[in-house]
Amino acid sequence: MSTPSTSGPSGRSGWHAAPQPDVAAPGAWSFPEPVVSTLGNGIELVCFDLPGQQVVSAHLVLDTPLNGEERELEGVATIASRTLDEGTRNHPGEEFAEVLETEGAGFGIEVSLSGVQAVLDVPVSHLEQAFALFSEAVTQPEIADADVARHVQIRLAQIEQASANSAQLASTAFRESVFDPDSRASRMSGGEAESVARVDGASARRFHAERFGPAGASLVLAGDFGGLDPQELAERWFGGWANDAQVRTPQEVAAPAPRRQVVLHRPGAVQADVRYGGFGIDRLDPRWPAASVATYAMGGAFLSRLNAVLREEKGYTYGVRMSLTPLRTAGSFAIGGSFRTDVLADSVRLARELADVRERPFTAAEVADAVTYSTGISPLRYATADGVADQAAVNRLVGLGDDYVTRNLAELRAVTPEAATEAYTSLIDVDALTLVVVGDADVIADPLRELGFDDLEVVRPEG
Amino acid sequence: MPSGPAAYPISQHVLDNGLRVLVSPDHGAPVVAVNLWYDVGSRDEEAGRTGFAHLFEHVMFQGSANVASGAHIGLLQAAGASVNATTWFDRTNYFETLPVGGLDLALWLEADRMGSLLDALTEDNLNTQREVVKEEKRQRYDNVPYGDVMQRLNSLTFPADHPYGHTTIGSMADLDAASLADAHAFFARHYMPNNAVLSVVGDVEVDDALARVERYFGGLARGDAPPHPPRDVLGPLTGTEREETSADVPAEAVYLAWRLPARGTRAFDALDLFFGVLGHGQTSRLHKALVRDAEVAESAGAASTGLIGGNSFGYAYARARGGEDLAAVEEALVAQIDRLEAEGPTDTELKRAKAQYERHWLHELSRVDSRADALGEYATLEGDPELVNTRMAEVDAVTPDDVASAVEEWFGSDRRATLLYRKAA
Repeated sequence: MSTPSTSGPSGRSGWHAAPQPDVAAPGAWSFPEPVVSTLGNGIELVCFDLPGQQVVSAHLVLDTPLNGEERELEGVATIASRTLDEGTRNHPGEEFAEVLETEGAGFGIEVSLSGVQAVLDVPVSHLEQAFALFSEAVTQPEIADADVARHVQIRLAQIEQASANSAQLASTAFRESVFDPDSRASRMSGGEAESVARVDGASARRFHAERFGPAGASLVLAGDFGGLDPQELAERWFGGWANDAQVRTPQEVAAPAPRRQVVLHRPGAVQADVRYGGFGIDRLDPRWPAASVATYAMGGAFLSRLNAVLREEKGYTYGVRMSLTPLRTAGSFAIGGSFRTDVLADSVRLARELADVRERPFTAAEVADAVTYSTGISPLRYATADGVADQAAVNRLVGLGDDYVTRNLAELRAVTPEAATEAYTSLIDVDALTLVVVGDADVIADPLRELGFDDLEVVRPEG
Repeated sequence: MPSGPAAYPISQHVLDNGLRVLVSPDHGAPVVAVNLWYDVGSRDEEAGRTGFAHLFEHVMFQGSANVASGAHIGLLQAAGASVNATTWFDRTNYFETLPVGGLDLALWLEADRMGSLLDALTEDNLNTQREVVKEEKRQRYDNVPYGDVMQRLNSLTFPADHPYGHTTIGSMADLDAASLADAHAFFARHYMPNNAVLSVVGDVEVDDALARVERYFGGLARGDAPPHPPRDVLGPLTGTEREETSADVPAEAVYLAWRLPARGTRAFDALDLFFGVLGHGQTSRLHKALVRDAEVAESAGAASTGLIGGNSFGYAYARARGGEDLAAVEEALVAQIDRLEAEGPTDTELKRAKAQYERHWLHELSRVDSRADALGEYATLEGDPELVNTRMAEVDAVTPDDVASAVEEWFGSDRRATLLYRKAA
């Protein structure tokens, strides 16, 4: 890297800059506090009144962890959820989406290992009408055979698309390699091809009938409600929902798999996608704040240890990151990026060297930067109704509590360089990491073995 | 259509050196968005130098007289900022959003590189960023299925020497050919206060924000504003262009492309809504007919891309379900296009397209960072940031007759280009 001169002739006009200004301390900020109440049927109602947020966001959070899916039918939660807006008892078939979209509303679902969410975004001026439809989709969907069959086909096509995409394939293979096969976390949330293909109308309707219900559910509403009373609206459209047949399954505790080193061969690929990491922790682990500070310094910041070398100094990649991916219990961490094929082995060598902090502990400056960054971006991240509602939903899905964001920021500020290094080294042993590479094995496998990845498997595509 | 939120306050100023400055106070959170639109995009590139505007965007982070290489983002992130930049056909924009106590730092950094980038630019950091951009091209275009579709559609829709005849990422050969002298010339030609719009949105007062902008940017000298490519309007395509390609893709696909009128016109707004009816969302004509009813496609859709230089661009596509014959999928796609062209959107469809536009637009404006970007966009491309407050009413005012006449002038299956994407044998 070059060191620019601090003075000298300017390119254009004898530019004389003012001295670098100081940064004033950020103003106080905390995550908005919701008004929490309970509907007649026990659904927890969580309301955020956010003046000026004209697009209201509603998340219905269901206690449907994916480890509750039958093994043979994994993907059924996703297929059933995707079929919710394909017709309801009151608005059969495509009529439902037509009336919903005519209200300017957007309906979506989010499926994660900890549960399913139905999401509505709508300008407040259409909230009343759209909310009635939102309730219909969740409580009285048709889930017709033909719609399920079509969504199964679409999901199978998506799986094919994903496996044709180097980065997605790397992420899927990494998850499979890091978690024990008995953990639902080792397989795609939307299900793998074999089990998705078994899902039909009857199994999707059964999943809805048994798993969708008020017990354990939360309804999060965020936005500028204008003259509307969100409590009344929620009670009217969700308070009467009952399901005596509802079945609930406790959330699983994910387990690790043994270390693995593998190249998935893509002949002629111009880049290789790398995932280099292991089994990790969740947000309630006492090491979480220190580990997130350390991870940011290693591979989150633009000038992180990894990106400064592999991108800015070497030009090997468009970007390399290290991130923690928490589940409700446990999680994973990985260094990830796409690297030019001919420098792949050198990139892995450098990543392994840089990831080892035993001789180079995290510094006070790195910790301070990580803390200011996290503190600084929070007000923006939670500036919109959907940003707030989304976090409130996650807080419920993984059991964090409504004060999580504010509490976590306070905990971050208390992290010392020693604590960051200690949390990092307790999690990350560079000699025991799992390595997944998707790329041209004919070029990259031998150089990787020469780096000491002796047990490297090479998986070649069938045919 | 219901009324939107009260108008956002926009205070407009021009510094003596020609820098346009927009300030919009919003005291909702203690943050500020700083957004700088330079009026330079890939449409300003010369033949043999495609990808240069984007490569230059990377170079802008390589330091300036008082800022070390990479330190621009480093300093801002350490002040709690989210930072980035983008390059597109019609623009290069640089932006950061951060706690308001960092406003001075953000302005100082932007001013330093506007004033003195070339002091720090060396062969070495140009070469490194060239490699980074080539990796970006490999990662986002060359190593992903269908990654070259946009480049192919652009080439089919516009002549090779047209400003929109190539995409922003450019070609590997041109990236390799970019020299340090080219970088110097590009900066001197396009990067100057009188070719930029600076927007400041957030927890500030107008006078105070202006004084700070003046302090950091006021000393920059005006340059000779570059001419932009002529905004000649090309007529619709003649419908004869067809291209077929094959690659290792999981499903075969057909893409159709159209030339459309430039953004900022009633005709473009009408066609934008029309493309929404045709292919946006699950109630669109294409999804209903091809995905839901005939089940010949795993996905199908359409969209328009508004551009300022004489013409915009629109496309429709369908990705074949396993085993479906691509010719039959194209036929089904064209049948829907012919039908919608002939009968026009229903009143409900038009109302729905407007309602969907409204939600996206309100959502876009709900954050200070995207609002700052919208201000820069409308000021740079259409000369009026107040459009941010009047856009919704303009779109709402589009009538069925507007749609019919725009469709008659610009649209039709006989005015398309066609790209067939087949699986490699």
